[in-house]
Amino acid sequence: MGEAGLRVRRLLPWLGLAVLFAVPVIVQRLGMPSLLGLATRIVIMGLAASSLNLLLGYGGLVSFGHAAYFGLGAYAVGILNAQFVSGDPLLGVIPGTDELAVTLPVAMLVSGAFALVLGALCLRTVGVPFIMITLAFAQMLYFLFVSLKAYGGDDGLLIRRPNVLASLNLRDGATMYWIAASCLVAYLLVCGRAMRARFGRVIAGQRQSPRRMAALGIATYPYKLVLFGMAGMGAGLAGALMANFSRFVSPDMMHWTQSGDLLIMVVIGGAGRLWGPLLGAAVLIGLETLLSGWTQYWQIVLGPILVLVALSGPGMRRRIGWTA
Amino acid sequence: MDGVTAPLLALRGVTKRFGGLVATNDLSLDVFPGEVHALIGPNGAGKTTLIGQMTGELRPDSGQIRFDGVDVRRLSAPRRARLGIGRTFQITQLLREDSALANVAMAVQAGQGHSFRFWQEVRGDASLREAALMALDRVGLLARASVPVAALAHGERKQLELAVALAQAPRLLVLDEPMAGLGPVESQAMTGILAGLKGHVAMLLVEHDMDAVFALADRITVLVYGAAIASGPPAEIRRDPKVLAAYLSEEMG
Amino acid sequence: MSLVIEQTLNGVQLSAMLFLLAAGLTLVFGIMGVINLAHGSLYMIGAYASAWTAAATGSFLLAVLAGVAAAGCVGMVLEFLVLRRLYASDHVDQVLATFGLVLFFNQAMALLFGRQPLFVTLPGWLSGTVMVAPGVPYPVFRLLIIVTVVVVAALMWVFISHTRIGMLVRAGATSRDMVRAMGVPIRGLYTLVFGLGAALAGLAGLLAGPIYAVQVGMGEQILISTFVVIVIGGVGSIRGALIGALLVGGMDTLLRAVVPGLLQMMMQGPDADALAGGIASMGIYLVMASVLLVRPRGLFPAHG
Repeated sequence: MGEAGLRVRRLLPWLGLAVLFAVPVIVQRLGMPSLLGLATRIVIMGLAASSLNLLLGYGGLVSFGHAAYFGLGAYAVGILNAQFVSGDPLLGVIPGTDELAVTLPVAMLVSGAFALVLGALCLRTVGVPFIMITLAFAQMLYFLFVSLKAYGGDDGLLIRRPNVLASLNLRDGATMYWIAASCLVAYLLVCGRAMRARFGRVIAGQRQSPRRMAALGIATYPYKLVLFGMAGMGAGLAGALMANFSRFVSPDMMHWTQSGDLLIMVVIGGAGRLWGPLLGAAVLIGLETLLSGWTQYWQIVLGPILVLVALSGPGMRRRIGWTA
Repeated sequence: MDGVTAPLLALRGVTKRFGGLVATNDLSLDVFPGEVHALIGPNGAGKTTLIGQMTGELRPDSGQIRFDGVDVRRLSAPRRARLGIGRTFQITQLLREDSALANVAMAVQAGQGHSFRFWQEVRGDASLREAALMALDRVGLLARASVPVAALAHGERKQLELAVALAQAPRLLVLDEPMAGLGPVESQAMTGILAGLKGHVAMLLVEHDMDAVFALADRITVLVYGAAIASGPPAEIRRDPKVLAAYLSEEMG
Repeated sequence: MSLVIEQTLNGVQLSAMLFLLAAGLTLVFGIMGVINLAHGSLYMIGAYASAWTAAATGSFLLAVLAGVAAAGCVGMVLEFLVLRRLYASDHVDQVLATFGLVLFFNQAMALLFGRQPLFVTLPGWLSGTVMVAPGVPYPVFRLLIIVTVVVVAALMWVFISHTRIGMLVRAGATSRDMVRAMGVPIRGLYTLVFGLGAALAGLAGLLAGPIYAVQVGMGEQILISTFVVIVIGGVGSIRGALIGALLVGGMDTLLRAVVPGLLQMMMQGPDADALAGGIASMGIYLVMASVLLVRPRGLFPAHG
């Protein structure tokens, strides 16, 4: 590749970032403001999928219950908001709030904590049982939230007014988008760094050869657990953003089909690539929006597509540069 | 090897059963510091099972395993590795997506305390890089440092296995068929590398390649059906009638 | 007292259904090493085929045959077209592919039968109750389920321990490589195991129809409970599937019977009922967590 080619390659990420943040402006110019909502959804789900990518793409851990942490983050915002509106503190002690600067960190803490506890149990297994257990625990949380009638149960919880951040108005589409995009970029920056540091090397090592890591003297369990926590926090952040964006929280956000969607986004976008999940989110949500306009049975098409993608296998996907 | 030096690795009465099959039968074995102790035997003799019990991947049903005086029987594989037991795998266990250098750097990193570091990029880490290059040089792979493992030839991968183990600075090196799959020229090269290590690190060499075994070993133990039927210097083993009976004589050369 | 008997029988009946699903699935996991999310779809197909046949012909026998046959056939076609190519794949691809199959089958059933649940009416001789103990009536159909599964389990036990094929299945669950080394036609064995599992799933589905109603997505909920059974019992083990099913079915029924009452003592109102339902639902997962703490590989793992 020539000098010019190399310079372009180095500029590409900056160009991409510029485009990412310019979307609200682009959408205005194109005269299609409704696309902004779609773009915001894609960015938020891209964040959620990126957090799963840590486990799946980098860690080789097939977690099929990741939506649980997404939902937990959303409910953190929803519950705090409900308590704020009613004026009663949660459990008699914790006051409600509608401050974004509080709800986002709380959401991340809650989902991170759950991820550590559940992860500690799940990581005691490998392979097929691991997948089943992650799925089972997520379903457990789903049932829990369905049963919390105080917070809407099955019907979900409305959030009449989104959280506030200083003087910013989150009801404004562009503001919401920029907050979401900033969170995505910040999360990816931190994770990307971590994956290129010693921590990430251990994660990559245990994915490729657990036996080798043991022979080198590295007990990988604590590292995987920390990874779980990082992934949980990312999903929780995404959930909190989604709660603010859609102003609605429901147990469906933790349903196993949501976990499946996240998995699809990671694989389609390119597992193990930093920006892959965002691309995967764009593809899946774009496809869904397009196809569901034609028929409500669009998943009858998506299903076989997934089968074909899966059958093409990681070997093939690696050869065409799809996966890391 | 005089009666006074304590063994680095001492196995006493180690037994392992799988259902009705006795894989390791009341085995006792010593490896002294700096010596090359070869373990030979027909296929199915239980060499792999024994290695597994030494390195911690398998637990024996009974018996003692002491490393440098420490009872390691209940210690996990990573724990034993940190005590100083390094190993190579018969079927190479390498990080196939990474370069040779990155593989060895991983071993160096493992020896430098915990890896809960999230900010400093590994690529720019000079301490890892230098130590890794030195290990690669010792096995003659310096020129192939930046080549991804997937692109390395089989012989080079076996050399890389060795480099990775050496980078851990082990006191005992358990070598699981380092010559497996190597042609005559490559085998000679590998034998030469191992000869260069003699005296610096104790080695337990499990091998089928008799030329290498007789060139390198200070002592040989012969394993048949999980039991040690003979143990001693190469010259003795060569003449031992039990050994000749157990083996096809062509193997002994 | 009659309540206790009734609840106990309910627990056994639930365990019976779970066993049918878990037995087939655990073999697929253990022998072929494949995680198959579409097992729930086979259950659903059995239910739909059976319900449709019952409505179309009015014959209970035909409905049963249709359910088992439909699930078994679809299962074998699936094995041939898709699953076969996944045996050597990464788990991610297996999950992705079988998830795609789930989406496909759910939408296909919705297209064919609509999204409203189908209710199956049982023939007269099955819809009554029978006295299982003095003064304790119990639905005939639920008893039939228990009896059916006991018979099926007995047949499976004979098949697995006393036939050559059964021995291969047991060997395959313990060591895949050993079976391959024995020169056994592996592909045939795999198709057989998969077809057997599919037929059992279909049977469970058609038996579930009259009790739980037939609808799109019915397979996934019970599939996750089946996963819990297998995790507790140990992958690859039929004995584990049995013990796990008894544990999960029993625990679930016990909690649903007991928790609402307990909660009423502490809380009031409809919120309490919902919460009780939630806690009861969570129960089996907490049992699973407890088992995992002490036995990460389940109670009776097949692999040594």
